[in-house]
Amino acid sequence: MTQTRRQLLPFYFLAPALLVELAIIFYPVLQTTWMSLFDFVLFRPNSVPFLGFGNFARAFADPVFWLSLGNSAIWIVGVVALQFLLGLGTALLLNQSFWWRGMARALVVIPWALPSVIIGLMWTWMYDYNLGVINDLLLRLHLIAEPIAWLARPDTTLPSIMLALIWQGFPFFAVTILAGLQTVPAEQIEAAEIDGANAWQRLISVVLPSIAEVLATVLLLRTIWVANSLDVILVMTGGGPGYASYTLPLYAFLKAYSGMEYGYGAALSLILTVLLLAVVYFYVRRVSRVEGTA
Amino acid sequence: MERRTFVKLTGAAALAGALARPAAAQQQTTITWWYHFDNPQASPADLVSQFEAKNPSIKIDAQNIPWGGGTDYYTRLFAALVAGNGPDTALVKLSNQARLLELQALAPLDDMIAGWNGKSDIADSIWTLNKASDGKQYYLPAQYVVIYLYYRADLFKAAGVEPPKTFDEFRSVAKAVTKGGVFGFGMRGGAGGYDNWGPFVLGGGANFSKGGMVSDAALKANRDYVGFFTTDKIVPPSAPTDGFQQIIANFKAGRSAMAIHHVGSSVDMDKALGDKVSAVPVPRGADGKGWTLYGDESNAIFSAAKDKAAAFKWITYLSGEGNAELVKLSGQLSVTTSGAKQDTLHPARFVQASTDSLPIAGVLPDSSKTADFVSTVWPTNMQQALLGQITPDQMMQAIDKQFNG
Amino acid sequence: MIERRSRLARMIAIELPILAVVLFAIAPYAWMVLTSIRPDADLSTFPLSYVPSQVTLEHYATLLQQTSFLQNLGNSLVIAAGAVVVGLLTSVPAAYAFSRFRFRGRQMLMTQFLVINMFPVVLLIIPLFVLMRNFHLLDSYFGIIIGHSTFAIPFAVWMLTSYMNGIPREVDEAAMMDGATRLQTIRLVILPLLMPGIVTTAIYIFVTSWNEYLFAMMLSGDHVRTVTVALQLFIGEFTVQWGLLTAGGTLVAIPVTILFLIVQRRLVGGLTAGAVKA
Repeated sequence: MTQTRRQLLPFYFLAPALLVELAIIFYPVLQTTWMSLFDFVLFRPNSVPFLGFGNFARAFADPVFWLSLGNSAIWIVGVVALQFLLGLGTALLLNQSFWWRGMARALVVIPWALPSVIIGLMWTWMYDYNLGVINDLLLRLHLIAEPIAWLARPDTTLPSIMLALIWQGFPFFAVTILAGLQTVPAEQIEAAEIDGANAWQRLISVVLPSIAEVLATVLLLRTIWVANSLDVILVMTGGGPGYASYTLPLYAFLKAYSGMEYGYGAALSLILTVLLLAVVYFYVRRVSRVEGTA
Repeated sequence: MERRTFVKLTGAAALAGALARPAAAQQQTTITWWYHFDNPQASPADLVSQFEAKNPSIKIDAQNIPWGGGTDYYTRLFAALVAGNGPDTALVKLSNQARLLELQALAPLDDMIAGWNGKSDIADSIWTLNKASDGKQYYLPAQYVVIYLYYRADLFKAAGVEPPKTFDEFRSVAKAVTKGGVFGFGMRGGAGGYDNWGPFVLGGGANFSKGGMVSDAALKANRDYVGFFTTDKIVPPSAPTDGFQQIIANFKAGRSAMAIHHVGSSVDMDKALGDKVSAVPVPRGADGKGWTLYGDESNAIFSAAKDKAAAFKWITYLSGEGNAELVKLSGQLSVTTSGAKQDTLHPARFVQASTDSLPIAGVLPDSSKTADFVSTVWPTNMQQALLGQITPDQMMQAIDKQFNG
Repeated sequence: MIERRSRLARMIAIELPILAVVLFAIAPYAWMVLTSIRPDADLSTFPLSYVPSQVTLEHYATLLQQTSFLQNLGNSLVIAAGAVVVGLLTSVPAAYAFSRFRFRGRQMLMTQFLVINMFPVVLLIIPLFVLMRNFHLLDSYFGIIIGHSTFAIPFAVWMLTSYMNGIPREVDEAAMMDGATRLQTIRLVILPLLMPGIVTTAIYIFVTSWNEYLFAMMLSGDHVRTVTVALQLFIGEFTVQWGLLTAGGTLVAIPVTILFLIVQRRLVGGLTAGAVKA
């Protein structure tokens, strides 16, 4: 094999994925990025003044932007962390053997298998003031004296929606970590057992390190997904009450689709993308540093 | 950036789109019509076949577009119009007329209407409501609802009160009924709730012209409305984010004694509650002035439609002979006088409440800012005012700013 | 005696927690199933009733007979399966490239895959719509499959790369030293070891496509309607058909669950001792 051909080999393997990407999504991403520099209003397509960074300046001066950014930070950290912990625990449990393991694995997937609109509607109903299961059970158990308007109070609305998201997303972690656990070399676990390590020590010193890369990747992917998710919030409260459950992608969405201010919505999305990019950059740098020393 | 350039920017694929269609020598045209019915089982197939039988050279391609709270439907419509891929006709509402006009997407119908013999079957007031701000008629009225007040006759009887006619009566009636976890009024603070707010505030003297939201009367009316939640406590604590679902469910369960909605939910209400539910027009001011929302829906022909005459035949069929059938499918009220007589779907008392409300029925301003008011400006400000995060006056100032800069 | 104690201990340490997790996972779903078998009138009784006033299958009957729900389920299945095929065919080679080669631009390419996905789909939907229209892919299976794959590919590439990184290079080298070509190595050695990762990625693509709403709503018409759009149709302007919605919601989770039940056995397996020469 010639030197050049050898160098090109990886690109042959990459070609299908790159082609699909270039053909379908590359242009729209460029277009949307381009749009963020203009005052593009969807129903005024003939009058599109150039703004340069005007949209971005507007965002930084916009109190709703900062509010949404703050909510997004709480949202991302809270949802991802809890989904992760619950998913990790579930994966470890599902990796053990017990007679109904297959059934348990299949049932745990159910939250993940439901469309956002169903999740939003069901949880909204469960949180209902008078007719919701949650208030009813809490009242029956005498944990609260009167019903709580979960979605109408600014202090409880975001956590309530976060719970619905944690419920929806933890199966993803459970499944992917479970798959990763299969690749932990059995010899290493046995060796640790022989050395006298108990289950917890085996977990920390053998299991977790060997699936570290899978964990990190899955965390990264999930963070990006959660950062951009808005379906469930939209269905449950539409961002309310007030701006209490406004996250940045939801704000961008509402600006673009109800205000039809596409340029501004694109700018807001770009800011989020850049922030996420910073996270990815640090991740990639760290991983390549680790690989370099390996 | 011109609209054409924007569309062209979609790359090399423009090649495919540029192929010219061979000139067709046939006379058959296909008219596409986008619609949304609350009941997806309701199919316009019969309407279509009846029309096609009478008009053999026209085929109708009726497409059911998901409503998605309105956002999905209009996103698809606007995206399709921008991409040059829009339908010939579609069901549309007045809140989007201004935007569609700015997009230059609508075809004026005045000439065709002048020659239509069914136009006298639609009341003049309805024609006027649907006229655009430039004086032309782009919308052909198809159906409507009018916002009125549901009340629980059983709870009223138990408390010994009568359905309210004025704002003050409303407040005292609600107070009389509020006890033991039951609230007098199921206020809708979530999306779409401006139709609860309108009767009290717009009916109490506010309007959308410059300064119309911050006049003394307007500010007082809004303060009173917010007061229902904050001081009078005649409204459940979940009101700020309660949507249509919540107010109707709570009303049916007897947790609220009054709810504001329209005839579209009347069949369901009657089925669930029977004699326990009835309706009256929304309350008015002591001076007899009031306001309620006229929930419009019309058909429009888009400027890109190739065969406007055929399209007009279809939409006039829907607003003429086929109107009674159309409203049976959609659950709304017929715009034609003859169609109204044939209404067997809705219980009479609800139709009565609707028609009794027509004298004070109005629509939101014909402005490109209205759609945003409905979906973001009103909900965020209303919710913040209810929760005390802003004062009611600040809410009115924000609305004034939205429309009048 | 010892056996019984450790069995009890095992039950407490493992089976009870997993039962709690499973109950948490299915409780809202169970509530939905319960709602789907009761008459609509039950929904507005106060106080809340847990036991249905009567059990009825009318919602399911209406759903299956009077709406196109089954057809929509079928459409969703076709599209999701298609997305899995396209997704895996493109992502597995790409993951191999990222995992097994070191070349210039590798980090940049990996990152750009992710960057494209960091853009919220909602903002891309209108330019995408215009693009799809120009390709004449509107209201077609292929259009939605391609759309779904496009969004799935970046995540799939990253996931598969990390699973593949978990398979030591020595395995490849051992096989190639034994005389296998690169392609044979991939087919006979790597892929079997990668199976848990492939299965997981396939499930991920399937579920993402299955649940996807925005793309399906914008790009499908009456001919190719997915189940998520069909469910949304039960939510009208002024009525919500709870019975049909909950019946549909119950049914929509079943194919994915069954699928997972079938493939979850493949999640076991991994490095077998002795595959690597000492």
